[in-house]
Parts: sequence; C-alpha cells; structure tokens
Amino acid sequence: MKFSLPCQALILAGLSLLPGVGQAIYFRDKISWQSPIPPSEMVSVDQAREWGDNTIWIDARPDDQFARDHVPGAILLNEDRWNELLPQFLAVWSPGKKIVVYCSAQSCDLAREVAERLRKEAQLTDVFVLEGGWEAWVKKNRS
Amino acid sequence: MRFSLGNFIWRIIDFIIAAIFIYAGVLKALDPVQLAHDIDHYKILPWAVGVGLAFYLPWLEIFCGLALIFRLFYRGALSILTALVVVFLVATIAAKVRGLDITCGCFGHASQNWSFPTHLALDLAILVALAALCYCSVARARANASPMPTS
Repeated sequence: MKFSLPCQALILAGLSLLPGVGQAIYFRDKISWQSPIPPSEMVSVDQAREWGDNTIWIDARPDDQFARDHVPGAILLNEDRWNELLPQFLAVWSPGKKIVVYCSAQSCDLAREVAERLRKEAQLTDVFVLEGGWEAWVKKNRS
Repeated sequence: MRFSLGNFIWRIIDFIIAAIFIYAGVLKALDPVQLAHDIDHYKILPWAVGVGLAFYLPWLEIFCGLALIFRLFYRGALSILTALVVVFLVATIAAKVRGLDITCGCFGHASQNWSFPTHLALDLAILVALAALCYCSVARARANASPMPTS
C-alpha cells in the first residue's frame, strides 16, 4: 500500500509522539514546564529574607550592573570572571549557609548557570535562584 | 531492484545519514533535560515549547533514521530530516548573528565543545547528502513511473 509523501511524514511524526509522551511522563519530576529552574531550586525574596544572616547573596550579572546597584552585602560572581571571583565567595561561605543567586530578571539565564556551576564545580548543595531576580528584590525592598 | 554500483552507493549514503541521525537522537533522548536547556539557549521559543521539542525531536530523528534504513516511508523521512536540518541551520546562524554563545546540543554532551565552523560544516554536509538522496528518490520514482518502451 503506497502512501503519499505528506501521509508518510504524518505517520512518522505520529509514531514519534508515542515515546516522546512516555518520556515526558517519566521525566515529569526532573523538569518543570513553567520555568527552566525546578521549583525546588527557586526561592522568593520573602523566603530568602527569612533566612537572615544565614544567606549569602550572589550577583551573577555583569560587573557594570553590579557596580551600579546590588543587594546589600551581595558578592559578585559571574561567568566572565569566574576563576577570579570564586575565591572571595569561598572565603565567606561556610557549611549551613544558604546561597541565593540572582541576575536581572526572571527571564535572565545567568543566575541559573552560576547556580549550576556552584553545585557541580564547588559541590555545594544549598544553592537557590532568586525568583524574579534583581527586579523582584527592588520591587519588594524599594516600593 | 537491480543491483548496480550507483544504487549501492546511494544505500551507503542512506545508512551513513541514518546512523548519524539515530546516534544523535539516542544521545539526546538520554538527556532531554539538557536538550531543553540547549534549545532554550537559542532564545527563539518559549520554554514550554522547548521542553516539548526536547522530548519529541530525538524520537523523530530516530524513527526517520530507521525509515531510511528499512526504506519504509522513505520519502517522508527524507522530507522531515531535510526540514529539520534547514530549520536548525537557520536557527544556529541566527543565534550566532545575535551574538549568543550556544552549545549546539546536536549530539548531546558529545558535541558541546565543537566550534561553530565545525557544526556548520557537518550540518551543510548532511544537508547536501539529504538533498542528493531526495533527488535520487525523485529520479527513481520518475523512472519507475515512465512506461517501458515497446519495440
């Protein structure tokens, strides 16, 4: 039985859907469809503030944005100068401290990447990304 | 189908292209979470769409590769793979022009250190091979369709 070209393409596309849906169900706990960052790795401004002195704020933005303004006490740690800036972060870190990484806004990917590097390279566990980023912090603290 | 050197060479190309796509598809299917992030780095699609593609595209590549090998839905598979490569080439060049530093994600972690020219060269080679296979398939279909001359 001969199928036309569009029919063949549709059949292949349809067949591929089955294992794809199966995988999506299997991986449903490992990836969020809402955001690139799993909910367990995100923290709101209010939650981070509740941790008080137990929090180390990491600014993942470029140097000039950090210089203009940043969360009081935040440490600059961006991918551009990772090797240079990492030691100053490690100097203030101690076990039990919670690390909150932020960049400019929710859509910014820098915080997620810095958080990922801290987990993989520095083997740190309590690393979170600030929901809404710097914009959210400004809104909560300066409105 | 009569054996001829030409047909044999086209089948070799079928198998090479199929192997590339099946290999790439399997690597990506093993880590769809990383693939979703790689797609997101292109900053073209919303995150949710990227996640959907991350679960779907590897299997599309695998099934189309198998279709090339077993000659089932052959033209459909060729069309889909050609469209995929064209879309991917355009997206890659657009990302480069926008200054985005992207990891291709084509072969999962195996290709994360490849340079942009390397990616481009491989994709163009695959596109040329697919175009040649499409041409051969059309020529074969026309040859089969034309009536045998009667003497």
